[in-house]
Amino acid sequence: MTYVLEVPQIFDERSFDQFAAGYAGSEGDPRVLVDAHAAEWASPSGLLGLLCAGQALVARRGNRPLFTVPAEREVAHYWARAGFFTHAADLFEIHGTVPRVKPNPERHVLLEVTPVTVADDVHAVVGRIQERSAAILTSELGLDPKATMGFGMALSEACQNIVEHAGTGGWVAVQSYSWRTIGRRVVVIAVADAGVGFRQTLEATQAKRFGDRWGDAAALETAVIQGVSRFRDPGRGQGLAGIRRYLDRWHGKISIRSGTARIAIVPAWDRDEPLREGLPHFPGAQVQLVVPEVEREAQ
Amino acid sequence: MIFEIDLREVLARSVGSPHSDLVTRSTGAKVRNSIEESISGRSADSPVVLDFSSVRVLDCSCADEVVAKLLLHCRAGAAGHAAWFVIRGLTELHAEEIDHVLRRHSLALVAEEQDGRARLLGDVDDSAAAAWRVLADRGGAEDEDVAAELMMGQDETRRLLDGLVVAGVVRRAEGRYLPLTAA
Repeated sequence: MTYVLEVPQIFDERSFDQFAAGYAGSEGDPRVLVDAHAAEWASPSGLLGLLCAGQALVARRGNRPLFTVPAEREVAHYWARAGFFTHAADLFEIHGTVPRVKPNPERHVLLEVTPVTVADDVHAVVGRIQERSAAILTSELGLDPKATMGFGMALSEACQNIVEHAGTGGWVAVQSYSWRTIGRRVVVIAVADAGVGFRQTLEATQAKRFGDRWGDAAALETAVIQGVSRFRDPGRGQGLAGIRRYLDRWHGKISIRSGTARIAIVPAWDRDEPLREGLPHFPGAQVQLVVPEVEREAQ
Repeated sequence: MIFEIDLREVLARSVGSPHSDLVTRSTGAKVRNSIEESISGRSADSPVVLDFSSVRVLDCSCADEVVAKLLLHCRAGAAGHAAWFVIRGLTELHAEEIDHVLRRHSLALVAEEQDGRARLLGDVDDSAAAAWRVLADRGGAEDEDVAAELMMGQDETRRLLDGLVVAGVVRRAEGRYLPLTAA
């Protein structure tokens, strides 16, 4: 029997838990079909979430899950231009026609879905993003040119979480699009892996201090709010703090989902919840950084 | 004689990167090792200048390895000697990252601004920073002159200045305290 894991029509951070619940329900079924035929849009986090699910399913079952391509031509083309199918082909048995797209990049795809496994990958990603992000950040989002340098720093630190802590490879993608709730353009960095997650990374050094309260939420708070890493070295664990400083300056947002919890540093323009627990379990860690367009009145 | 190190050159030599981005902890460790090799056995009479002018992106992890760990290693003698460091060519963001990592390790460092003025980065309290500013403006002074300028007791001033010597941002010569600079 094949378990059907439906991809939400609009697959972004708000519908991620719906997908995670479906993923959690796939336990025990011999075959999984990740069904994206009705998908109409996916954020970079959504696309990476699909790859994480594929990676975890392959690791769990030893065979590739099935995947149906979005029926809507434009949707499939956009996913192809975003680099999704290049990596999905390694993880899924794909059903449906994968569009062939020209190498000419989509204007608002600042960085196609790109694998991150080792430090050299981070170098390559930062090198590629600097030129491409500068124009978008300054001309479209109205940010100070200085924001470009900090953008590379934040991207680098987010990717290093995979290299340092995931215990497996992951992906990064960067896109610019309009954020529905505020009607402003944003640049979104999504970084995700299906690795061990924050809880397991910190368990050996932090669990005792929390006792019964130890869990995914406590692990996220420890890492994101307290800047604690699994190393005793006081210089470690500062990457997320660096990201927060950058996002504070440009009124950006960070959210991280790991295991059954999700934490967010919420700027004034957003109404997200700072901490959510008891969510459907999803493997690894999914990080999203959002840098918004400067408000016109403030420019 | 001042020994100047171009971080971009070290980056190219250490990891063969065509970019000018100092990112990732492992890259930082390689760059630091390369710097330690190049200053090994060198006299500690004059400062080593770390030039960041050609560096584009600097992240926290790399700054921690290249700057903070370098200071810790050289003080601990891991590089075979003690060394004095001055840093130059920083953008505002570079300075922010370096200041942050220095504070995490209770370290301090002199940074030379593009106009030639020097400033302190890292973990220095306000009184010590004021004493250092007096030295920087005068190009050096005796403790009693600094005490008079700051209207502080001489013992307390000496304690501040000796603390700056230990921090590696001031040197003592012939009874005077001299701010560490690249000049």
